[in-house]
Parts: sequence; C-alpha cells; structure tokens
Amino acid sequence: MKKRNFWVILTGVVIGIAALALSALGNPGNMGFCIACFLRDTSGALKLHSAEVVQYVRPEIVGMILGAMIVAMLTKEFKPRGGSSPMTRFVIAVVVMVGALMFLGCPLRMMLRVGGGDLNALIGLVGFVAGIFVGTLWMRGGFTLKRAYAQSLTEGLTLPIIAAVIMALSAFLPALFAASESGPGSMHAPILIALVVGLVVGGLCQRSRFCTVAASRDAMLFKDFSMLWGFAAVIVTTIVGNLILGKFHLSFADQPVAHTDGLWNFLGMALVGWGSVLLGGCPLRQVILAGEGNSDAGITVTGFVVGAAICHNFGLASSAKGPTANGMIAVVVGFVLLTLIGLFNREKA
Amino acid sequence: MKEYIATFHTHLSAMRTQRALAGQGVAARLAPVPRYLSASCGTCVLYRANEAHLGDMDADVERVVEKSVQGDGFMELLNRA
Repeated sequence: MKKRNFWVILTGVVIGIAALALSALGNPGNMGFCIACFLRDTSGALKLHSAEVVQYVRPEIVGMILGAMIVAMLTKEFKPRGGSSPMTRFVIAVVVMVGALMFLGCPLRMMLRVGGGDLNALIGLVGFVAGIFVGTLWMRGGFTLKRAYAQSLTEGLTLPIIAAVIMALSAFLPALFAASESGPGSMHAPILIALVVGLVVGGLCQRSRFCTVAASRDAMLFKDFSMLWGFAAVIVTTIVGNLILGKFHLSFADQPVAHTDGLWNFLGMALVGWGSVLLGGCPLRQVILAGEGNSDAGITVTGFVVGAAICHNFGLASSAKGPTANGMIAVVVGFVLLTLIGLFNREKA
Repeated sequence: MKEYIATFHTHLSAMRTQRALAGQGVAARLAPVPRYLSASCGTCVLYRANEAHLGDMDADVERVVEKSVQGDGFMELLNRA
C-alpha cells in the first residue's frame, strides 16, 4: 500500500469508528459526525437562530479545529494565509449550507447515512457526485477565486481562538447558551469524549488531507484515486460497524434525521458538491484548513454558521417530514448564485 | 531527463503552465500536490524534461522542485510561497 493511501485509509477508518462510538454514546443516529449539523447546532446555541431542537455547542467541531491546529504547529505546517476572494467564499458557504440542510447532512454525514443503510443518502451521493462533476467543468473552464497570500499569526489564530473560547464558555458557563431539551440538539455524547475524538480526527485529517470532495474531484480532474480510498473506508467501516451493532437498516423510510424526497435529496447534495469544488474542499476540509491558519477557510466556516442560521430563521431547512417550499426556492436560488459566481470569476484558461 | 514538480497558488495557474509546457513538447500533467510538499490540497504540474523550464511558469507559481531519483527527496529550484 502506498504511504499516502495509508494515512487516508487510516483517517477514514478512524472517522467511521469514531462516528459509531459517538452515536452509541449519545449523538443522533447516523450523526456521529456531521459538519453541517454540528455547525448548525452551534449556531443555535449562540442564539443566531431559534430552532429549539437544534441548539448545542458541539465539542467535535472545536476539537477538529484545535486538533488540526496542534498537529499543523507541531509539523511546522501552521501557515496563516488568506485573501482569496473571502466574500465570495462566504456566499458560496451559505449556499453549500442551504444544500446540506435541504438533504439533512454534510457529505460526511451522507457517507455515515449510507453506512447505516439509509437509501435516501445513496440518492444524495449520486447528486453529490453530479454536483462535483459540474464544479470540475467550471474549474476546467478557468474558474478561479484568485490566490491567497501570507498573513499575520493573529489572522490565522483568530478562528481557533474563537472556537476555544466558545467551547470553554459553554463548558463552564452553560447558561450563556441556548440548549435543546428535545430533538437532535439534545442528543449528544459526553463533552470531554466528544472533544477528544474531535481532536484526534482533526489531527488525522490534517495529516492525510482527508476531503470528501477531493475523492471524486481528483478522480475526475486528474484520474487520481487516492482520496477515494478514504471515502470508501468511512462507508465500509460504518456498514461493518452498524451490522455488528445491529443498527444497519436498509430502507428509505424511518431513517434517523432524514426525509424521503429523492429529488430534493439529489438537488441538495448536488448544490453541496458544486459549491464545495468552487471552495476547494468539502465542509470538513474547510474546518481543518481553518485550523491550519487559513483565514479563507475561517471565513467559509463562518459562512456555514451564518448559512445555518439563515436556513432555520427563514424556514429553508428540511425536517424528517420533508423539504419546505422555502427550502426548494432557496436551492434553486443557490444554483443561480453558483452560476453567477462562476461566470464572474472566470479567466482565460 | 529529470522529473520536476511545480506547485501553484491557483488551479488555473497550474492549468496554464501545463499547457505552456505541453506547447514546448514537454511531457507534463496535472496532479494533486504531493503530501510531502504541502499540507494544502492544490494542483501541481508533474513534468519530465532536460531542464526546469522556469521561464514557462505562470505568474502564480509557488514552488518548483527537482525530484530525487528515489523516495520523497527533492531539490528546491524556486520558492515564492
């Protein structure tokens, strides 16, 4: 096995096991990890939206940011950089969150849902790959958000510090934050375990550059299949784990935190795939890059948090009952926005 | 014939350089940047040539290295990181 594949596969297996363990310890079903859901919950805890069932500061996210930061610092890879079309990235991040909350999960949760037997997620996966394909067409056509530049240490450390402060405040002064008493936000693993698991996964993702979008994008753009090994490792690990735990249920109906509208599951994840290619990586990858001092990724993560608030404040997010009319309109608007952003950010290739 | 790796600040810049090198008859292809060169996930150009063709690099080139014959070793020829 090639050394680079080893790290990617190890990361995929660890993410799969960690997700199973976190669900067993209290996180919602097939939601051991979900960048979109966890940033949405954190957004709710910060009272940026008032959906009472999805409010909780998720330690996994903070752990991932800090884990990536610590490993990057230890390996001299913490490099503050930014300035690559930050506002455009912010808007794309909001659009990606609209797609993710239409489907009910980021690409990582989509893989965990597939691993739990959720067939709706398979449709989402087809949409995700289709969206990535569209994104690669824009890349081939000369799309660029322009280069990033070296920045100050302060700029690179700001998001990790904000994450650490929010985590510390939520642990020691929980009354400051909103906290769900029912619904997905009320279901969570013990804080310390979730934080440590996040640290480990964040560190591993920094070493391996694990990215759910790169798996398909690199295959399409370069015929490079390295990252697909990690993608497969997550799904295989969760299928095997769920079979052992008796939690593998192959069906469309009655899946945890999921709906059965195939068209909108497909379109939601297509939006996520396309937007993520334009951003240069999936939501998980953005969290890791933010930990490495990349302030463009920091702005993107901020966009996810604001996007989640917009989704819940304006009724765009789906629920187990299905998508909303507002959400459908928002997804269509998202496709229009990505097209406009593509057109206005093209240069002669 | 030596093996070179050029990394860039943007994917577009890598595409432009790959085309410029191919136009010179150099065997050049796009690939993800090797992990030992960078923690970021950008695009690089891998090419084989008798010399480094530094003059054919796009303005947003980041680094150009000459690969060792074996392993992950390399010699830095240009660095605008």
